Parts: sequence; C-alpha cells; structure tokens
Amino acid sequence: MAGETVSRGFGLGRPGPRASAGVVWSVFRARLKIITRYKGAVFLESIIPVIFAGLPILLGAAVAGGEQNAANNFFAYTGTTGRTAADFRLYMLMGSNTFMVVTLMLWLIGYWVRREQETGTLEALYLTPAKRFHVLAGVTSYTFIRALIAFLVATVLGALLFNVNPLEGNFLAAVAYLVLGIPALWGISFFFGALVMRIKEANSVIQLLQWVLAFAMGVYFPVTVFPFLLRVVAMGFPPTLMNDAIRSTLLGIASIYGPWYVVLGLMLIAAWLVPLLGYEFFGWTERRVKRDQGVGQF
Amino acid sequence: MARKTLLEYSRYPVAFGALFAQIFLIILLFVLTTVAFAGGDQRTISRFAGAMGYGFVVNIILSFTLWEIGFSIREEQVRGTLESLYLSPANKFSNLVSRIFAVLSITVLMCLGGLAVVSAVAGGLPVNNVGLGLLALLLTTSGFLGLGFVFAGITIKLKETAQILVNGLQFFFMIFCAMFYPFLALPSFVVDDISRWIPISYCVDLFRQTLLGQQPELGVSYAVEWVIVLAFGIVSPLVGYWIYHRIERKARTDGTLGEY
Repeated sequence: MAGETVSRGFGLGRPGPRASAGVVWSVFRARLKIITRYKGAVFLESIIPVIFAGLPILLGAAVAGGEQNAANNFFAYTGTTGRTAADFRLYMLMGSNTFMVVTLMLWLIGYWVRREQETGTLEALYLTPAKRFHVLAGVTSYTFIRALIAFLVATVLGALLFNVNPLEGNFLAAVAYLVLGIPALWGISFFFGALVMRIKEANSVIQLLQWVLAFAMGVYFPVTVFPFLLRVVAMGFPPTLMNDAIRSTLLGIASIYGPWYVVLGLMLIAAWLVPLLGYEFFGWTERRVKRDQGVGQF
Repeated sequence: MARKTLLEYSRYPVAFGALFAQIFLIILLFVLTTVAFAGGDQRTISRFAGAMGYGFVVNIILSFTLWEIGFSIREEQVRGTLESLYLSPANKFSNLVSRIFAVLSITVLMCLGGLAVVSAVAGGLPVNNVGLGLLALLLTTSGFLGLGFVFAGITIKLKETAQILVNGLQFFFMIFCAMFYPFLALPSFVVDDISRWIPISYCVDLFRQTLLGQQPELGVSYAVEWVIVLAFGIVSPLVGYWIYHRIERKARTDGTLGEY
C-alpha cells in the first residue's frame, strides 16, 4: 500500500473520470482564453470565406459578361441543377464557408502540435499523467466551437453582402450536416497532427494540403468536372461529402452521391470511421517519434 | 543571414516542395474556374488566364515580402533570439533585407513555373514587351520591400496580431488591386473610390498590361503609371525603413523588444 502510494506520488497515478473531464475542460478553456486575446483572428476567419466566395463571383461576371451569364455557363459546364445568379452566389458562398471550416480544423489541430513543439511544451505535456485522448478532446472541442462560429458568422455576412437567403433552403439540416461532418474532420486533423509531429515544419505542408482540399472538395466547382479517377478519389474524401451535403440541402440541387439517405448513411460512416483511423494513426506516429528522436525536437 | 535562411530552407525540404506545389494548385484552381465560366470560348480563356497569371506574379511577390519579413521577425520573437540579435553589431538594414533575399530568389522560380502551368492549361499566354514588364516588376518589388519593412515594425509592436493584419491586407490587395482578374471585373465605384487610390493597383496594371500588350485599365496613360510605379519603388523602401527604425527604437527604449 505504502509502495503504491509512493509510486502514485511519483507520477504513476492515472486520473479518474472527473480528473479526465477536468483535463478536457482545462485544455478547451485555455485555447479559448488564448484566442479571445486575438479578436482580429476570429473576425478575419469569418471574413475570409466571404472574400473567397467573392473572387469567383467577380471573376465569373467579368469572364462571362454578366452574372446571369456566368451562372448559366457555370451550371451548364458543371452539370449542376441550379439556375439563378442567386443560386450561383450561394453555391460559391457555401463552398467557401465549408472550406473555411475544413481549413480551420486542420490549422488549429496541426498548428497546436507545432506550437507546443516550438514553445517546448510538447515533451512536458507527454510527461504529465493526462491521457493524450483527453488533451486532444479538449483541442478538438475548441476547434469545433471556433469553426461553427466562423461558419455561422460568414454565412450571415455573406448572405447580407451577396443578397442571398440561405434560410430559403433547409438551413437547419445544412448545419446538422456540418455538425455531422465535424468528427470526420477531426479524424483528418489527427492525420495532420501526426504528420506535423513527424515532419516538423508544418506551415507549408498544411497550407499545401489546404489547397489540395480546396481542389478535392470542390470549393468552386463540383468534383464531377474531374476525370474519372480523380473524381472517385475526391468523392471518397469526407470534406467533399460534407460540402456536397450542405450545398444540395440549401440549394435543393441533386447530390452527386445520390438520394439524401445515401448521403446521410455515408456521413454517419465517415463520422464513425475516420476519427478512429485518424486517432490510431496519431498514436502510431507518436510512438515512432518517441522511439526515434523524441517529441522534443523541432 | 541570407545563407542562414537558405540553410533553414534546406533543412525542411518537404516544406519547400509543398510551397511550390501550393502555388500551382492555387493557379490551377482559378484557371479551371475561369474555364467553367467562359462557356468554351478559347480566346476569353486565354485573355483572362493571362490577366490572372501576370496578376498572380505580383501577388506572390507581395505575399512573400509581407509574410517573410514580418513572420521571420515573429519567429525570432517566439524563439527568444530577437533581442540577442539586436544586441549584436550587425547592420539592421542588412538584417531585414537578407530575410527576403532567399525567398525572392525562390519566388522567381515559382513564378516561371506558375506561368508555365497557366499557359499549359489556357493554351498559351500573350507575351509582349518583356524588358519593360521586368522593369515594372523590379520597381514593384522594391516598393513591396518598403511595405515589408513597415510590417516588420508592426510585428514588433503588435506581435501575434500583426499576422492577422498581414493576412487581412493580403486579401484587401488581392481584391481591390485586381490581382486575380482584370479591373473590369470590379464594380466601377470600387475601381474609382478604392483601387485608383492604391499605388499597388498601378503596379499590377502596368506589369500586366505591358506584358499583355494592351492599354492600361485604370484610366491613366502608360506614362502616368510609370511615374507612379517609379515613385512607389523609390519612396516606399525609404519611408518603410524609417517607420521600422522608429518602432524598433521605441521597443528597445521601452525594453519590449524581446516580449512576445
């Protein structure tokens, strides 16, 4: 008994459920506290999707000689069922908003690992008795809140600026699809986190992957315009599914995946499978890094 | 310092490769979007791809100048080496310029690659007056250095928030200086009330229209645009460095240089 007490006293103890919840809450609160010091960042991530949607809208009007022409050309080229200029604007806005959510997930989790590496606290974090799962749960909860806020604010701002009404479609269902898509994004973020831990200099890699994502998830055009093989790969990618589900729900256009229950089924599978795979991969990479050079190097 | 920057780049080959690939993806995304809007008109695709490609060159130089100088100062802050660097007898101006030297050399390669991608996708790009175009680009780059110096100063003052400012301004310039589309894509009141008041708009217009062999879009003659771009290229680095120097001195006097 005395030996056990001594052992636990020397750090072999493991936190119980209450303490674990405390770990999640502490990480969540710490991240929120830090970001509230940078209000500009929160504002900017709500503005960026609107700017990002504005670029193709302006470009389209200039190329086609008018917004309605741009919409006609775009929907004809992509084989999408939307018709009006407002449909076209909402299509771009939703694509950009979803892209922002995906990007935020990758940045916030990938960059969290990098930040801890750089400030020298990652190794210290590994020496605490807190389970990695709970620390990650705190970080992912924070990313979820931040991404959801960015999505909603960007939708409101975009709706006002582009004169579109997302509430004409089934907005609540679209938000539900967004929420359902988040666990899969966490899974992908874990892959990213592992990658960052392994290759260290993360900024460029995350930036590159975020553009790969923009391509693969069809931020400006549906993936149906891609060649067959690329289309299949892109369609197997969870953010593409989420983007398509949100757009088809709001705009009332046919999903590229089929009827709504197929989309819902695929989203549930992704929400269950991808986080599991991502977390496993994170754990595997972590063990390798610890065995090789240790987590302290950056 | 330039050698150190290059050495740092060589230590992260994946990051370096990723930067290259990222640029091509961005261009490809916009060019494919143009193709979707053009309704199959090859001439329109080629004209807009040219405007986009050349605008992209200016955009990438601006982005790297702003980011590299400001971000590397921030990195020194976070790592705790900024204060010790300023205690060394090294020339402060060289210290700043050297940070951008390596990245600008790499950017040239990226621009050439990027233009090749646009040309391949759009079926050829119009290329005229290459010498004049390069001179305009040189003056533009010099002007951007001034902005970079200002941001280095702002980074010392605002710390983390400066990055957000850089991000925001990057998007501001991208939109209002029409870097990814011709100025005719913008509503006329935006061009008249915003774009025409920003010197960078003239840099974009001069470089792009010179290479495309077309008349300037901003409603002034080539001669006026040359004067504006020349003044920007000369005055901006001087004013930028003066601002940086003032902020840096104040931070040193207050003892806040090492804080982050």
